[in-house]
Amino acid sequence: MTRLRALSLVLCAALGGSLSAHAADPIKIGVSAPFTGGSSPMGLSMRDGVKLAVAEINKAGGLLGRQIQLVERDDEAKNERGVQVTQELINKEHVVATLGYANTGVALASTRFYQEAKIPVFDNIATGSSVTQQFLPPEFPDNYVFRNAAYDGIQAHMIVEEAVVRRKLTKVAILNDDTNYGMLGRGDLEKALAAKGVKPVAEEKFKIKDVDMTAQLLRAKEAGAEAILTYAIGPELAQVANGMKKLGWKVPMIGSWTLSMGNFIDNAGAESEGVRMPQTFIQEPNTPKRKAFIEAYVKAYNPPNGRIASPVSAAQGYDSILLLAAAIRQAGSTDGPAIRAALENLKEKVDGVVTVYEHPFSHDNHEAITANIPVIGEVRGGHVVYAYEEERKNPLRLEKH
Amino acid sequence: MAILLQLLLSGIALGMIYAVIAFGYQSTFATSGTLNFGQGEALMLGALVGLSLAGTISGGPYLNYWVMIPPVLIFGALQGIVVERVAVRPAIKTRSEFGWIMSTIALGIIFRNVAENVWGRDDLPFPSPLPTEPLHFLGASVLPMELLVVVGALLMMVGVEVFNRRSIYGKAVVATASDRDAAGLMGINTSLVITFSYALSSMTAAFAGVLIAPVTLTGASMGTALGLKAFAVAIIGGLNSGLGVVVGGILLGVAETTTGFYVSTGYKDVPGLVLLLLVLSVKPSGLFGKTTIKKV
Repeated sequence: MTRLRALSLVLCAALGGSLSAHAADPIKIGVSAPFTGGSSPMGLSMRDGVKLAVAEINKAGGLLGRQIQLVERDDEAKNERGVQVTQELINKEHVVATLGYANTGVALASTRFYQEAKIPVFDNIATGSSVTQQFLPPEFPDNYVFRNAAYDGIQAHMIVEEAVVRRKLTKVAILNDDTNYGMLGRGDLEKALAAKGVKPVAEEKFKIKDVDMTAQLLRAKEAGAEAILTYAIGPELAQVANGMKKLGWKVPMIGSWTLSMGNFIDNAGAESEGVRMPQTFIQEPNTPKRKAFIEAYVKAYNPPNGRIASPVSAAQGYDSILLLAAAIRQAGSTDGPAIRAALENLKEKVDGVVTVYEHPFSHDNHEAITANIPVIGEVRGGHVVYAYEEERKNPLRLEKH
Repeated sequence: MAILLQLLLSGIALGMIYAVIAFGYQSTFATSGTLNFGQGEALMLGALVGLSLAGTISGGPYLNYWVMIPPVLIFGALQGIVVERVAVRPAIKTRSEFGWIMSTIALGIIFRNVAENVWGRDDLPFPSPLPTEPLHFLGASVLPMELLVVVGALLMMVGVEVFNRRSIYGKAVVATASDRDAAGLMGINTSLVITFSYALSSMTAAFAGVLIAPVTLTGASMGTALGLKAFAVAIIGGLNSGLGVVVGGILLGVAETTTGFYVSTGYKDVPGLVLLLLVLSVKPSGLFGKTTIKKV
């Protein structure tokens, strides 16, 4: 047994030696996200944002003298598929770090393996509050899960603030899908409502691919709801909006950031008008960095009508690789623990699309997006725009930890 | 009262969507004792071909909604012939009891992947040929398109029934359905009849696709969940009864909406499945199915 172990150690050392011998080998970074199904606009926009940043980095000479190579895998928004992809990325592709996850469930199921392998994993879309909270001290001395998306705790608070405080709609119904995302988001909404002393008049759920929302909407309507708060993804949200029209019942729809997805806006058509949601990024060139990003994205991928399918995902994808690259540069190596340590004490000021990141993470804080960064977006004429003019005029919102 | 009416109307509209898909399972089961488990995919292909012709996604619209229907029907029939030739005929020839199950499922997956590559993976809106403003009566509302689904489904079923009873070709189908060997001895080309029944089955599915697409969403994955629900409806109603699928569909649709409202939206799908189990244990041939005695 000991001899076997010794032998395998030698083998590992030999392999490691042969790997490091080729210093010009590309740095492999995994991308795991849904490229198919209802969540695909998020995954694809994010991937394109990442590719845009990688092209810029590689053109400028790469990282540590090496080029970045992306290993893209479709996790199909399925938890079990995400785990499969994860194992492939870690054990077969030997990635240095992984970016992605549009779905909270997939992120929760997959990040464990990176934690065990001591490889940093960067959640740049999925917003479930617990994603970065799974591996905390004292049980786990170091946490390898980072995020640059507005987690649900922030979003739920903003949704409730918008509905209850700004618009004085106190009788609200929660409609969510029955995935991890929808159910956890509903919990966050309940908490945020309770903090304002409000109890939802109805809480209804539905399944992915449900085509009829009559029962859910009628229950909300009968309970006297003045607004609908949602936690679901594009296609089903569109069925909710279309269902309201069918019942001839129109109340404001306010929900998580997924209400900005192209497949919600297209499928709901005119019914998407006026819908509001928290956004970390709105496709509006109100800073030089954003202007350059939007122009480069539209030029490279030519999205229909010049509208990025999920602008938030594209921007966060772009920023996530910038943050990671800065950490690798600072660490001077592609060693997992060294990158993690560099991320937790990032010295470089990273000029991203969403914001300018100054010390975005620390050992105990792995959320780059703070409560003051997201703004409220509104759908107008098929585009997501700023709901409040003062937020549009005041684009640069720095993190407040 | 208005609420109950609304739930009933929505349930019926939903149920007719299931019924119109379930109808496709029947025609092949009657003639060959086999089913196309890719029925949901046949529906999806019909809807997407229809969308390419009548929508703007491939540079159209080339045809308006009504003119688009005949080409979609022809496409559906051809697709059904492919399914029969590739997946079912070899299994029937070798008298394989279950080979067709796997091969129709496999073909369905292939069709879905092809559709994902041709039309993309996202859900797309299908332009409605009728006004999208709901009609109101007695406090309940219903979309004109939902009425069209009900009317279209019924017309289609009546059409097939009349064809079977009145035309000589239909009689060949009925004869093959009641006894394939005897029909063969009487000079009926039964394998051609089976091919025809597959063409008919996929044609109804394609028609169902363009009929329901404006109310649901259109995309490569639209058929999977609906195909399964429709299969449950076909079992509840009986695999050899046209009336059965209508009643089964409406039962399932109404059960879903009323349970969703009166019990909890979390339990929406439970009564339908309980009904399925009940039917299977009490009357396995379905509510309106004829019991067949299998001699061995």
